[in-house]
Amino acid sequence: MNLDHSSENLVFELESVSKSYSGKQVLKDISLAIPRGVVGLLGPNGCGKSTLIKSILGLVSIDRGKGKVLGFDWPSQVRIVRDNVGYLPEDDCYLQGLQGIESIQMMARLSGLQKKEALRRSHEVADYCDLGQERYRNVETYSTGMRQKLKFAQALVHDPQWVILDEPTTGLDPAQREQFLDRIYSLANEMGKSILLSTHILHDVVQTCDYVVIMAGGKIRVVDSLENLQRPSQEGLQITVVSQAQKLSQALAAQGIECKCTSDAEFVAVGNQRSILDPIWKTCFEEQIVILRIEQAKNSLEQAFLEAIRS
Amino acid sequence: MPLLDVGYRNWQGVRTPRWSRAMVLATTGIHLVWKGTWLKRVLMFMAIPALIAGIFVATYEQTIDRSGPRELIRALGRNPQSRSIAARAGVDLSDATENPEAYRHFTWSYILFNLSRYPQAIGMIVVLGLVAPRLISYDLRSRGYLLYLSRPLTPAEYILGKSLVLFFLLFMMSALPALIIYLTGLFLSTDSTAIAQTWDIPLRILVASLVLMIPTSAIALAFSSMTQESRYAGFAWFAMWVIGSVTYNALWAATQIGQARPRRRRDMGFEEISSMYDWSSYKLFSPYETLGYLQQQIFGLAVKDQWVWSPWILAIIASVVGYGFAYWRVSRVLKV
Repeated sequence: MNLDHSSENLVFELESVSKSYSGKQVLKDISLAIPRGVVGLLGPNGCGKSTLIKSILGLVSIDRGKGKVLGFDWPSQVRIVRDNVGYLPEDDCYLQGLQGIESIQMMARLSGLQKKEALRRSHEVADYCDLGQERYRNVETYSTGMRQKLKFAQALVHDPQWVILDEPTTGLDPAQREQFLDRIYSLANEMGKSILLSTHILHDVVQTCDYVVIMAGGKIRVVDSLENLQRPSQEGLQITVVSQAQKLSQALAAQGIECKCTSDAEFVAVGNQRSILDPIWKTCFEEQIVILRIEQAKNSLEQAFLEAIRS
Repeated sequence: MPLLDVGYRNWQGVRTPRWSRAMVLATTGIHLVWKGTWLKRVLMFMAIPALIAGIFVATYEQTIDRSGPRELIRALGRNPQSRSIAARAGVDLSDATENPEAYRHFTWSYILFNLSRYPQAIGMIVVLGLVAPRLISYDLRSRGYLLYLSRPLTPAEYILGKSLVLFFLLFMMSALPALIIYLTGLFLSTDSTAIAQTWDIPLRILVASLVLMIPTSAIALAFSSMTQESRYAGFAWFAMWVIGSVTYNALWAATQIGQARPRRRRDMGFEEISSMYDWSSYKLFSPYETLGYLQQQIFGLAVKDQWVWSPWILAIIASVVGYGFAYWRVSRVLKV
């Protein structure tokens, strides 16, 4: 499954990739081409997301398949690929006995930075990732959130072209999560990095991604832009009210406007926007219901995700 | 908030060659193990035997130069152990007090062999037991291998990097003190033929150190890669040496009893002591004895014995199996 993009704009292009463990096929003949930008990789647990990522990095050997990653032949040139990729693993992993800054420096040196330059760059990235003075503590004493920040710094320290983030917001509190997503956004939009974001949190994908890949059962089910996935099948308006969305939608239905209530504060009114807007205002005034927001109706990513994995 | 937050900046610099990345693993590993207080204590303690060996070499050279009291040389000629080893090296010590400079090569080799065979070998067991079990098992427990291997590093380079940590420590413990003792001997000697007589000793020191380093590091890393708990790896390591030595000594004692020979060293004569340095297949049960005999061969102190390959084959098998197992374990854990 491919998006319509020229080959020089692709981050990776895989052909017929298969992988099995002890007879169980985890990746089933996957062909996939992903453009530059922020790509969300979605899928239920055990669908093969992590195996796909580890295969791209050469951490697991594939049974068959070939492709190109960042313009390099894959899997034959996987070591060059690794020099240009920053990887934040899903697993809780750290280098025992080292301070935070030392472990970032070590990752930088393993990616080819000279010792002093690696230390300078490590501090720069530690500042960017908000590691603060905790960078001088041994990593085994870090909380889960701090370890996520540390792994992010390690993934960025060698300035990779492409950053693979496997469940990066796990263990972060809401404020830190928002900051993290802001960093992903700025890396992609200001620094021109390509990012693969593997996550279960659909909100993170909606907030940051340009494209979405949905996997299920070891196969690619959907590859599309987020915009296309969120485009509704029917024209309409999404209305957010303070409360009594049910009452308002019933009143509108009585006037012949089809409504789909999604919660006590939200519903979708289906129909031509110009023709339904006036009756909505009028009914709200009559029912004394306060409107908070009116926007163009979108398909929820959750809906697209569920449809994809059920198909 | 840092005082000077420059945000994210792209980096454009020259990268080091890929082959040098294993060295990063090694230098960081050395930096980490060097934090251990016990390791420093053991290494300092290990300097004492080397100092004593150095004093022996210095005294020997001073004895030759000053034509002074030659008690050390006389003692060498009387001692059943040195006489036995000299006989194996094809050296007759009866003339040693009259013409000591002719025995320089044997004396230096004998002193360095004893240093390597006993205190350094035991120290090596202790140091590897303190350091090696943590090297891979910690990475398995903390999943650090995922961080390492997502960089341009293969499992083989990972194992090499970890081995270099052990090689460095063992070099510091065995080869370096022996080489310093050798150079001390040369500097203290006023005899210009000393270099010509002993030029091969540094090479023997290096080969003996390699023979000590490679199989022991391989086994130690194999144990470390078996488990996430470093204490189990440490226990297996020490158990291997203890069980091997006990087995060999039990078999040797049984042989002595069978041949109606004394088992206590103080009751032994020249023949009995000499028999302890014979090659016996029983030594294959004990890594300590096997390595000891290899060192004896390397220092040229077994040239009159029939050449035996079995300790070499065992050392090679231990190295291949040890490294092979560690490689297999590291590659295997990458399964999701």
